[in-house]
Amino acid sequence: MGSSVTDDLDRLIHERVRLGIVAALAADENLSFGDLKTILNTSDGNLSVHARKLDEAGYIKVTKGFTDRKPKTEYRLTAKGRRALEAYLDQMETILSVARDALERS
Amino acid sequence: MTIPTHEDQQQAKETLAYIRRTMESASTFTAVSGWGLAAVGIVGMLAAWLAWSGGTPSDLRVWIPAAVVSITIAMAANAAKARRLEVPVWSGAVRKIVGVVTPTLAAGALLTYALHDHGVAQLLPGTWLALYGAGVSAGGTFSIRAIRAMGVAFLILGAAALIRPDLGLLWLGVGFGGLHLGVGLDIVWRHGG
Repeated sequence: MGSSVTDDLDRLIHERVRLGIVAALAADENLSFGDLKTILNTSDGNLSVHARKLDEAGYIKVTKGFTDRKPKTEYRLTAKGRRALEAYLDQMETILSVARDALERS
Repeated sequence: MTIPTHEDQQQAKETLAYIRRTMESASTFTAVSGWGLAAVGIVGMLAAWLAWSGGTPSDLRVWIPAAVVSITIAMAANAAKARRLEVPVWSGAVRKIVGVVTPTLAAGALLTYALHDHGVAQLLPGTWLALYGAGVSAGGTFSIRAIRAMGVAFLILGAAALIRPDLGLLWLGVGFGGLHLGVGLDIVWRHGG
């Protein structure tokens, strides 16, 4: 995007993979690395990089552990992350609403 | 607010559609009902106990009704969970899973008839477990890892039952009873019901 209308958007979740992670975790509170990779159809490296950024921002919580001696990483959406997604959705809906109003007035 | 450009509007529409698709996909991905699977496990245990009581491990008078009851429970529980998650009951992922699992179940029905008809019913437990495992592990590609792992475990139990047909009923109880119950409760715990 990049117009003045979209300047206020939360850049952290505006990126497509990060938005996908947050949206998927909003629908299912607990997903593993493998589950998220399948849902978003992305690579290991891509998912790791974007998940780390969301984790650093406090939008998601990462739990690392072992199941049957194999490493297992699980993700959860934090309250901060959920609020960020809700705010982002509001902004998207506002863009459409303002555009619709402008169209009706013209 | 500045009036959004046509490009802004299109981007907003596409973004909202992407969010909706992703949420729907994540919900459907885990829409396998853990409670339903656990209930199927209890039916499996009851069937194994009934077959043991009757002295015929692969008694079709026990296992066919048990399969019908289990499929009914699983369908009803999955539909209920989908409604609760507000995702389509008959979504793309569910269609794919059913499309993959159905041929192996049909093959299982054919082999049941053939093996029973030829008097080698002792191979039925291994056949059921292996074919069910093949179907679930393939269908599990469209669902959470626990389902795929369960499919592989059924395959292993099927191999064990074919190697040791004399222990067929034990493997049936462990698979259709214990595995379903364990994985079902794990899904309840991890994926909300």
